[in-house]
Amino acid sequence: MTLTDFVNFLVKNSKTIMEYSENHFTLVLLAVGISLLIWVPVGLLLTKSDKWAARVLALANTIFCIPSLSMFAILVTIPMFGLGRKSALLALVLYAMMPLIRSVYDGVKNVDRNVIEAARGMGMSTKRILVEILVPLGMPIIFAGFRITVVMTTGIAAIATYIGERNLGRFIQEGLVRSNTPMMVTGALIISIIAIGLDTILGMIEKRIVPKGLRVSR
Amino acid sequence: MRWENFRFALFEKAPEALLEHSMIVVITITIAILISVPLGVFLSRPKYKKFGLVTLNILNLLQAVPGIAVIALALPILGLGMKPAIVALLFQSLLPIVRNTIAGLLGVSSDVKEAASGMGMSQRRILWEVELPLAIPIILSGIRTATVYVVSIGTLASLIGAGGLGNLIMGGLSLFRPEYLLVGAGLGALMAIFLDRMINYLEYRITPPGMRVE
Repeated sequence: MTLTDFVNFLVKNSKTIMEYSENHFTLVLLAVGISLLIWVPVGLLLTKSDKWAARVLALANTIFCIPSLSMFAILVTIPMFGLGRKSALLALVLYAMMPLIRSVYDGVKNVDRNVIEAARGMGMSTKRILVEILVPLGMPIIFAGFRITVVMTTGIAAIATYIGERNLGRFIQEGLVRSNTPMMVTGALIISIIAIGLDTILGMIEKRIVPKGLRVSR
Repeated sequence: MRWENFRFALFEKAPEALLEHSMIVVITITIAILISVPLGVFLSRPKYKKFGLVTLNILNLLQAVPGIAVIALALPILGLGMKPAIVALLFQSLLPIVRNTIAGLLGVSSDVKEAASGMGMSQRRILWEVELPLAIPIILSGIRTATVYVVSIGTLASLIGAGGLGNLIMGGLSLFRPEYLLVGAGLGALMAIFLDRMINYLEYRITPPGMRVE
């Protein structure tokens, strides 16, 4: 395989590439959106009860361990889901549970107790403390979890091609079946570049939104 | 769902697949530990710290590459079979261990190190008898992350002919036999969860009681 093969493939298949990318991004966006809607409130709720937090985090950890191909395969056998987008979405949302809940929980729990006391002493209500103190101060950790979720979801979404999603993973799947190396490599490169790009961009945003005094060196 | 299919998958197909899968995981993780723990120790020495950041950034980039892409890129470069799969998996299992080794070694309180050198210990003895024992729980948790990851991406390794539980899952998907899916996927999930729990327990046992955090 040479560079010309690669460029030829890109030019010839630009339409398909666009279509697959669009499908990929809609799936990722939907999955991340739903995950945020569900898991952020759950994470915030868990900060109220340590007992439940331990239980739910253990469950999330266990789910996170399940290999992604296994997760898709198991969901496919459940009659209600079957092949297609529903199974893919559910699997991605379940995977996002661990990083999101954990980061929201850790972020809020890590806020200095004295700050909360001070806020309460100033007469802030619990709701205002949550919105104006806990979430902004926990933001660095929460955003780090968000970043991991997005990058991970992009990668796992490619595997959903095996259960009938027509996305960028399809190039890899078909390239392998037809031993079409340019196709396979193009698919792999596009996904890698998207994942690395998202990681880098979100990393830059992460640095921006963290107040200077809170920046941790890693 | 038919019982004969299920039995065939579980008793005829699964043992071999499980064995291959365990082999992939054990070999990959052993090599990963042999490479990344010394690398982590090397990069955490004050003299070489400046390489540390660069190496970590490169490994971070590698980590962002999705597993299926790594497998797909490994095929044209390395060919088919178990060896290429192990090399591909190796690339991504290095980061968690290196990062945790560095974090663990840097996390050792400098008071302890000073006390050790005040007692006349050489740098080498401090590393072996003070720093490494104190850092081991954190290193182990990196190994745990890497192991779960390898089990997970290992199911994709069947795509490039490495065998393992992925064979059952892929076969089940293409023949549409839910029995194969359940056996392959279930065993994969159980294996990942079991290894996670086992290393977690090891981590707990190896941490001195005074250092356990809850």
